[in-house]
Amino acid sequence: MRVLLRRFGVYLLTAWVAITANFFLPRLMPGNPIASLIGKLTGQVTPQEVRSIQLQFGVGLHSSIWQQYWTYWVNLFHGQLGTSITLSASVSSVLSSQIYWTLGLIGVATVLSFALGTALGAILGWTRGSRTDSLIPIATFFQATPYFFLGSVMVLVFANNLHWFPDLGAYDPNATPGWNWGFIASLFRYAQLPVISILLSSMAGWMLGMRNMMVTVIGEDFVLMAVAKGLPRRRVIWHAARNAVLPSVANFALAIGLLVSGALLVELVFNYPGVGNLLLNATLNEDYPLLQGIFLVITLTVLGANLIADVLYYWLDPRTRTPVAQ
Amino acid sequence: MSESVLRVENFSVDYGVGERAVRAVTDVTFSLGRSEVLGIAGESGSGKSTLVYGLTRLLRAPGVIRSGKAILRVGEDSARRDIDLLEASERDLRSLRWRHVSVVLQSALSALDPVRRIGKEFDEVLRYHGQGKSRAERRSRAEELVTMVGLKTDRLDRFPHELSGGQRQRVMIALALALNPDLVIMDEPTTALDVVTQREIIDELRELRERLGFAMIFITHDLSLLVELADQIMVMYAGRVVERADSADLYSIPRHPYTVGLMNSFPPLTGEIVPMTGIPGSPPSLSALPRGCAFAPRCPLASDRCLNETPPLLVEESRSLACFNSSSSVRERLVISS
Repeated sequence: MRVLLRRFGVYLLTAWVAITANFFLPRLMPGNPIASLIGKLTGQVTPQEVRSIQLQFGVGLHSSIWQQYWTYWVNLFHGQLGTSITLSASVSSVLSSQIYWTLGLIGVATVLSFALGTALGAILGWTRGSRTDSLIPIATFFQATPYFFLGSVMVLVFANNLHWFPDLGAYDPNATPGWNWGFIASLFRYAQLPVISILLSSMAGWMLGMRNMMVTVIGEDFVLMAVAKGLPRRRVIWHAARNAVLPSVANFALAIGLLVSGALLVELVFNYPGVGNLLLNATLNEDYPLLQGIFLVITLTVLGANLIADVLYYWLDPRTRTPVAQ
Repeated sequence: MSESVLRVENFSVDYGVGERAVRAVTDVTFSLGRSEVLGIAGESGSGKSTLVYGLTRLLRAPGVIRSGKAILRVGEDSARRDIDLLEASERDLRSLRWRHVSVVLQSALSALDPVRRIGKEFDEVLRYHGQGKSRAERRSRAEELVTMVGLKTDRLDRFPHELSGGQRQRVMIALALALNPDLVIMDEPTTALDVVTQREIIDELRELRERLGFAMIFITHDLSLLVELADQIMVMYAGRVVERADSADLYSIPRHPYTVGLMNSFPPLTGEIVPMTGIPGSPPSLSALPRGCAFAPRCPLASDRCLNETPPLLVEESRSLACFNSSSSVRERLVISS
């Protein structure tokens, strides 16, 4: 438990550093981007919005940077991340409307890819040297293909030409969004192709990692002992897989960090709503408040996911529970 | 000792197949009586571990059983039956394993699943072999077993890495006895332990064997240890049995030069202090065995005949021996020659 608390402390510290960096970065940019932004926007936005941007970045204010820093934290705890310049809405409302799409599609697909890839890898590891090994080069081929290309080809072939899957977007434009069967069904239909494309492009890594780890673990004495104990084969594989999965869990935490860049590509290729698309538009339009908000959410998500992975690892591997002496 | 638990005939194991196959075990024949302890001694690479892994069909690729029979006798009286371990189906093996033949390995740390509590190991073995209907019942059996090997019952709630080496090996022994097997195979169970713990465990094993009556195959390179524990000792060199005798006989009159060499390499656990001499050279590579007796290049008594001809294992009632120099007491001649 002490180990876990210490880890939690490290995460809190990291979060503080990230949030602080998020506050200082726009203020450290050369040429005062905020001032130029306000200058560029004058006439397009209401005076209140200009005021709110100024407040957020401390432009034209005469309070000290420490006061601004304090205000920034107070606002943060009230969920106020400022106002998006291009969307004329509060950043928090924009983000909260978009993040579910990303979590729903990319998040679910990533977890699915990990689970499927690892399970397949365990089987491949157990049956190493047999015909099942031919799956590896096929999977690696898909992972090696640039995602942008792979996704575009899939859209072209399976959606545009063969019509096996619906076209771009996240749901049927004729369905009314809400808790009705038609809408939810169309959500699933529209998510199929993006999910398959993510699986194809990312499963090989999990598969290969788990397979190789399985091959190593199978050589361990306790697996031999499991056989010697007369346990059924399923049980023996379980023993090996339970130990082989540990490095994959650690890698999964790292993979969550790459989720965002992945989201950008997927949402672009399939014209799917979400944080990735939001990030792209915010960058193109130099929407700094929105960018800042997105970065903050990304940082916290990655930190949170890492924390979950850490707790999971702690639970999976008892050896990590013993604190190192001294 | 009239009835044998295990009868092994002409058992051979290769590593690899075809031209480049290496003969790890050649033509081993022995039989093991009920409640008897057979000690197998030899240096690393002498084939002693390969022999028992082969017999229990736990051999890993590229190990291949080339020939032989290994008849295990299970059950009592009318329900008694003989099973050839080498012919048994995967399913038969599964129900045979642990219930009739269990194994203890050298490193208990790697033999225990690192991510599971000790109690789980016991629970699993009992559950999969249909013993103990409820979890509580299996737990009380596990407590009984660890108490038997001198551990506190709270060890069951620990993970393997939280126990000492001696405790772990005791856990392994308790686990091996969980189903009251007919035969327990111990592959260097005390090699990784310090001398004091080794002593304790050997004493415990002897006591447990007397109480529970299981037969045991005990592998080690420490001959003096075997003399105390085993009824019979088999000495292996380069995959062959070079000498086999009752342990007291073998100890007092070793007849193979290799046995003498092994004996001089280890201080006896009890008795007076004698200078250690050891055996010059190292064991031959199994892929390039010399033409004659495999031990001849290291043997102080080797003659021309030894270098050209493989001595056959002459089997007698009290002793088997594979050496041309068996006519006189080898030990005396070795002392004179050195």
